[in-house]
Amino acid sequence: MTTDTGKTREYNLSAEKPRIDGTLKLTGGADYAADRNLPNQTYGYPVTSTITSGKLVSLELDEALAMPGVLDIFHHDNFDQLSRSPNSFADENLTSEPRLPFEDNEIHYQGQYIALVVADTLNHARAAAMKVKANYERSDEFLTDIKALDRGEGELPGEEQPGDASSIGDADSAFESASVKLDHRYSIAQENHSVMEMHASVAQWENDMLTIYESSQGVVFQRNALSKIFGIPPEKVTVISHFIGSGFGSKLFMWPHAIMTAVAARRLGRPVKTVLSRTQEYLATGYRPTSLQRVRLGADDSGKLLSIHHDGCNESSPAGKHDDTVSGATPKMYDCGGNAAVTNRLVTVNKCPPCPMRAPGEASGNFALETAMDELAVKLEMDPLALRKKNFAAADPTSDLPWSSNHLKECWDDAASRFGWDKRNPTPGAMQDGDEIIGYGMATQSWEAMRQHCSARFGFRADGSLLVACGTQDIGTGTYTIVAQTASELTGIPIEMVDVRLGDSQLPSGPLSGGSMATSTVLPAVSAAFDEALSQLKSLATAEGGVFENADPDTIEIQSGKLVQGDRSVEITQLLADNQLGLIDGEASAQPGDEQNQYSFRSFGAVFVEVRWDPGISRLRVARVVSTIDIGRAINPMTARNQVEGGIVMGIGMGMFEQAEFDQNGYPYNNNLADYILPVNADMPKVEVDLLDYPDYRHNAFGARGVGEIGLTGVAAAISNAVYNATGKRIRDMPISIEKLLSA
Amino acid sequence: MRAFELESVEAIDQAVSHRRVHDGEAFIAGGTTLLDLVKLDVMQPEKVVDVTRLPLKRIETLEDGRLKIGALVSNTELAKHEIVLRDYPVLSEALLSGASTGLRNMASTGGNVMQRTRCPYFRDPDMPCNKREPGTGCSALDGINRNHAVLGTSEHCIATHPSDMCVGMVAAGATLVLEGPDGQREVAFEDYHLLPGDHPEREHDLKPGELITHVILDTPRGGGQHYLKLRDRASYEFALASCAAIVSLDGDNVSEVRVALGGVATKPWRATAAEEALKGQPATQENFERAADAAFTDAVAYSHNGYKITLGKQAIARALRDATARARA
Amino acid sequence: MAPVIRHSTGVGFCTPGAQAETAEQPTAASGKHSSETRRITLTVNGRQHDLQVAPNAVLLDVLREQLNLFGTKKGCDHGQCGACTVHVNGRSVNSCLMLACMQEGAEIVTIEGLAESAGFELGHHPVQDAFLAHDAYQCGYCTAGQMMTAAAIINDDSIDGDEVSLREAMSGNICRCGAYKNILDAVQSARGQMRGGE
Repeated sequence: MTTDTGKTREYNLSAEKPRIDGTLKLTGGADYAADRNLPNQTYGYPVTSTITSGKLVSLELDEALAMPGVLDIFHHDNFDQLSRSPNSFADENLTSEPRLPFEDNEIHYQGQYIALVVADTLNHARAAAMKVKANYERSDEFLTDIKALDRGEGELPGEEQPGDASSIGDADSAFESASVKLDHRYSIAQENHSVMEMHASVAQWENDMLTIYESSQGVVFQRNALSKIFGIPPEKVTVISHFIGSGFGSKLFMWPHAIMTAVAARRLGRPVKTVLSRTQEYLATGYRPTSLQRVRLGADDSGKLLSIHHDGCNESSPAGKHDDTVSGATPKMYDCGGNAAVTNRLVTVNKCPPCPMRAPGEASGNFALETAMDELAVKLEMDPLALRKKNFAAADPTSDLPWSSNHLKECWDDAASRFGWDKRNPTPGAMQDGDEIIGYGMATQSWEAMRQHCSARFGFRADGSLLVACGTQDIGTGTYTIVAQTASELTGIPIEMVDVRLGDSQLPSGPLSGGSMATSTVLPAVSAAFDEALSQLKSLATAEGGVFENADPDTIEIQSGKLVQGDRSVEITQLLADNQLGLIDGEASAQPGDEQNQYSFRSFGAVFVEVRWDPGISRLRVARVVSTIDIGRAINPMTARNQVEGGIVMGIGMGMFEQAEFDQNGYPYNNNLADYILPVNADMPKVEVDLLDYPDYRHNAFGARGVGEIGLTGVAAAISNAVYNATGKRIRDMPISIEKLLSA
Repeated sequence: MRAFELESVEAIDQAVSHRRVHDGEAFIAGGTTLLDLVKLDVMQPEKVVDVTRLPLKRIETLEDGRLKIGALVSNTELAKHEIVLRDYPVLSEALLSGASTGLRNMASTGGNVMQRTRCPYFRDPDMPCNKREPGTGCSALDGINRNHAVLGTSEHCIATHPSDMCVGMVAAGATLVLEGPDGQREVAFEDYHLLPGDHPEREHDLKPGELITHVILDTPRGGGQHYLKLRDRASYEFALASCAAIVSLDGDNVSEVRVALGGVATKPWRATAAEEALKGQPATQENFERAADAAFTDAVAYSHNGYKITLGKQAIARALRDATARARA
Repeated sequence: MAPVIRHSTGVGFCTPGAQAETAEQPTAASGKHSSETRRITLTVNGRQHDLQVAPNAVLLDVLREQLNLFGTKKGCDHGQCGACTVHVNGRSVNSCLMLACMQEGAEIVTIEGLAESAGFELGHHPVQDAFLAHDAYQCGYCTAGQMMTAAAIINDDSIDGDEVSLREAMSGNICRCGAYKNILDAVQSARGQMRGGE
């Protein structure tokens, strides 16, 4: 049933449509994971380690067990025997933390689960959890700050990852002989995803079948992992995630709270609801790891790049390895004379495992590269935009494959023009307005365009509505809506008549909601399933006694909910009624094909930032952001722009506010939403986002390359570059906090 | 959250009776501090006494021209009261710079006076903290102290007082009315909050069983007034440094001046040295900066908060400048 | 011990399967001994509910776990995000930091009752319509709180309609998706509709 590889047909589909799930979200009707109370339900509340490293010696549970409403407490000594998931991405059973809950008594990080209290009410569970006493053997050997390891010159700390190292040409020689050289270090602090909906599991066993309501960006992955962990067939596990209070990567792969909740539900024979607290969320569900980076650029006097070296280092965890590969995309960004070399290293820290966070790797690496480019421009006394234009990569430098579609030059020009870049005075501090000094900065934005295998189901119902189902998720990106748009476009049936089902592992297997690949992955599968359902409709119509008896199916078209052949037509509802059918549906799969060997797929964009610096009160604010992005075709430009605007806000957080801090004892200092500073509405600058519209039909039949990540990339660098233009201070360590500006 | 009893009282004498004189009881009004800290198990009341039905919701001008504010007046109501807007704009600005729309709607005047520090070590019962558990040590001294105080600290505690409202009240001048089992008494607002010294657990001059019933603001000082709050993000964050300034001019000279600071001190801080340095002097930027320097003469910086000395001075100089501009307007 | 629910709750949009109306109720079978609860009457979205509530239960948890009104969200439980914003007597407040037992006699409105309580068709408060039209959300989790604050500040004569004032008034509602631009557009649009051409 595999059909569409993306090249047989081209769809012309792009429309600004309000979200089809909007009414549910706006009336409180959207059911997020914890938004249910099952009959006979109980409440789980985790107990977590208060030490950073060492051993759990014993738990004192008597007082907690005697608390009102307590049903049981699960921990190392009484937990079920389970198996670790094989943790394979290819087999779609990867988890974020391979270690099972309570697997042993080793403590690897503060916030690690040491027990789960289950009680009849949330209040009772939480009160009892506070009464659990833990005795530890504390280890003084721990690390929570990788910056402390850096010598500030030469190689970065950590263990080099051989799989990450890649090179083209001879970067070392090219750098040595370059007339203009630059060699700087950059760093970005740990960022917390800070999803508004805290991770939650509601687990229920019925006989030997597990149903778990989870806030998940990957119901199929979680279903497969639970199947392996509990040793039961995948069809006996159902993971449901109809609505997700954002994920940004932290909900891609299952965390241990889901496992312990499922165990508790099985043992008690009652549903268990576990909702993490914000602090538990911050300590046990991943983060963008702190990264240290070194960038070396070699250029000639005209600004032509001769070489790029980019070395990265990020935090990993003893409880789960994560490689952010911050330098990975760098060789694709510019024509660097055919000479580039990148490496990446890992340092193990006593924190929970890091995990992907929006534009993983690239958001961090882009900051270093795009800041270095600005520094090179300053060194060359060259306009930063002109420097980038001079080094435009006409083909993918790492493979010499042509880009499938690349309109970066237009992004640069369009954004520069709308921003008023020509009014920039390159002399730091030269642009003033009252108490404030104005700074302009820019950066190139980029994100790889990926596509995965996907299955979907497409159905025509007797009542005239459509059913479209896929085991992917809508994490706020608008997947429900673009699937409905697609179904409506394919059939001519109004979007209001399309019923889209996502977020259920019982549906045909769909992709993770991550990596900006859901649109390009899901829509081809939807159209393939549509083809399958349509061919069944045609079979009915052309069958003996059918309305188009013996007609050639290829002469039949679908128009406005009707099958049309020549001047004859039949309502699809009539066709179903005539055959006494409630539903005709087809299931099909789609996956990328040979085009993957012919082109390099990548989105590009440009972001320009105006900052305002009031030196009299040390106040820095982002005043204006203009971004132009080429993502191929935006299926829904309204929701797509929203993604980019949201990425800009997250970039302001990365550039100015966000850093998870650990003190000298490894204590997580700002483990809550008051002390971990996120942008609020008052921080929102004037933002103008423009999406170019050049469908990339080489990528898929819809011409869409996805939009979730790219809006974030470049923003921190553009802020940093604008800060230099305003202050003459070059801050290479994100975020640009007040004290850094004062001490620089 | 731990279990507690809940009692509602209808009259002040009921609220302050002698039987409350033990540690296990806490008053609740807006709840924004108490419930936050009970959830964290930092405050551990056996019983919570709901005082929201007490008749303490009025704002009235006294015969001597002072403004008497009931302890249950919400932060929003107080900030937007016409007399406060007209006569005490520095207080209104301070209130509106604090917290968020929703929290200001909940928080009471008396509760804001009783706000506890935001020191993360204080807020975690697993961490040593002299304020929460005397004698256990101060985790902030050697830990992360970016948000901590540089004025009024001791070797036992460097926790910052978090309130904006209190800073406005110190600048405006105020008196607290306290009702207790042994009757009513008044305390100057500036004397109410205590420096940590050797006993950081003693935060204020409220005797067991007493309840704040009113805040009485001094007669209006006139002049130009301004509250400036500096922080990382633009809203919904506690001050890293803030300044309430009231400036009266006699020609080009400063005739009267009040300066109070938030975000940099262990209590709502009256910067008398700054006032003395500026009073009678020409209202110039140079003199504003000199006054700002004077305010921080005795400041002590810790490992992460040295920037607050600069930031605090900047807050003073700018607040004085803008208050002066208003005085001239 | 079973509570008396005088009226059914919910507005018919939520279909997450069977709901146990007593989920948060301690039951005889469940615990060693039940903690003290008290009987209170809460008025939520114009309907009265007789409930057994623990003295330490916060309004947010009672709305969600006892009344199955899941539209009001928990994002931090400490007044640091605004996702739990509801109206109590017409004012926007953080329901995570108020005791349910102290709200007897108060008029509580949640997102499920926002439109009807203001005299609009279900789901069509001008703020809801504007949020839909302006795409003023992504994941939708903070959205109820955003709209409850928006609806309250639009009715507040002391909050001006300029961008700076509205952004400041909305800053107690964190949106990690970063839909602030569209949220502001929606609030301004709804404000214009509700207050006329100011």
